[in-house]
Amino acid sequence: MTESTKPRAPFAPWDRRELPGLFLVEESARRVGNYKWAEMRLFEALGGWVATVPELDVKLVLGRHTYHHAWHAELWHKRLPELREMNPDRLTVPPNEAFVTFMDAVREPEAADETIEKLVGVYRVLLPRFIAVYTFHLNATSRITDAPTIRSLKFALQDEFDDWRDGEMLLQSLIDSPEKVERAGRRQVELEQLYLASGGIAGPGSLGDDSEATEGERVS
Amino acid sequence: MKKMLPESELARDERFVRTKIEDRLFDPRGPKVAQRNTGPARMGPDRPAAGERSRSLMHGIFVGEIQALEGAGRTCYDFDDETAPFQLKLDMARQCWDESRHCEISVKLGDHMGTEIGEYTESTFLFAAACNPDPVLRLCGVNRALEGLAIDVFNSMKEFGNESGDPILEFCEDWMLADEVTHVKMGSDWLRRLTDTDPERRERALEFQRTVDAIFNLGGFRGDDEENPVQLARNFRRLAGFTDEENDSLAALARESTEQAREMAEMAAAALDASAQGS
Repeated sequence: MTESTKPRAPFAPWDRRELPGLFLVEESARRVGNYKWAEMRLFEALGGWVATVPELDVKLVLGRHTYHHAWHAELWHKRLPELREMNPDRLTVPPNEAFVTFMDAVREPEAADETIEKLVGVYRVLLPRFIAVYTFHLNATSRITDAPTIRSLKFALQDEFDDWRDGEMLLQSLIDSPEKVERAGRRQVELEQLYLASGGIAGPGSLGDDSEATEGERVS
Repeated sequence: MKKMLPESELARDERFVRTKIEDRLFDPRGPKVAQRNTGPARMGPDRPAAGERSRSLMHGIFVGEIQALEGAGRTCYDFDDETAPFQLKLDMARQCWDESRHCEISVKLGDHMGTEIGEYTESTFLFAAACNPDPVLRLCGVNRALEGLAIDVFNSMKEFGNESGDPILEFCEDWMLADEVTHVKMGSDWLRRLTDTDPERRERALEFQRTVDAIFNLGGFRGDDEENPVQLARNFRRLAGFTDEENDSLAALARESTEQAREMAEMAAAALDASAQGS
């Protein structure tokens, strides 16, 4: 029989979470606002494209993914007031003008014969970067103080991985000639250049830098 | 990508065959067909050509779901954050997922019932209702009028599945029906919220809904009587938030529409007869 009054450590031996993290509340909120803005622009574009793609399987997948990204935007929208931002719209902004240019380019294709261009922008350029920036935030923030953000990041990441796989498989089935390989490659390079110029979904330092690492040590 | 995509630009693969609603309404074979007295039109397994009619309706549901998906998707994209609130767009994104599932269900049910994509034609007037430049009118036309019609259609198909001993059809229609009730509620909710202080805009939206309802009665396709293939699903409509007054008004509109269609068919038949005697 267990002695109920026997003192136990507040953290079980297998719970190795530590207090320190790279982000103060303000920085976490800034990033979350950038995520929300990018997820919004993404779900709007996916929704708009549904009517413009003739491939039935692509149409239905885009319909499903539209909701996934809208839900992520909603998660971030709800997190902002918890991070002391009582007016979520104030932080629902792109990190800079260069990122707006990048997102505009991702959303630009419209014609029915541009499905490859649409999908490359989302599934070969943007989603891998969402995965990267969310993973960075997950690994960098305090696992104790910022746990609610971590929970949302994990939900969003699961969708991003699944959706990336759906999109990549659609692309692999659509790219069936050397010319289409070229088209997909050109589109990817063009967008990656624009993304690079923006510094990322959360701007320069989206995946951290040396000074942030030092800052993190200092906060700890 | 531009805002406001016209229905003529909806992207389809080569299996789909598009027709205009006028082609259907003014099909010269229509009057002769209407002259045949084949008894009540309500869907039932004992009716003539029940299988063929249910397959045709299922194909209609399938293309309707595609257009509903496209319409909800465009509502996510067509409006800026000021014209359409963030939460409204979230609802429309959720509807995209629902309609996408409905497409998947419908295409599998089509297989199950023995039809295939493109066997019947597609008219795109459902999407046309989703092109209104005012988001309130768009939601009234789509979420209240068309999703309301979907409640009636799915309930009729569900009953048909039950009566014909097809548990798969009944099961699927039951699930889709649940989603449609949610979509109607969304429409009613946004109508109330966005026109709370603008009664004139609300009246315009309700007028647009009545216009769409009238079009979709399709000369007696939907109504309360035995001669309507699709029955008004009053209980589910009540669940979705329609008042008894609204349902009564819709039933009256449907009766009017049935009567107009009958008069038109009689006139067309008389014209045909006169033409035949003259020749």
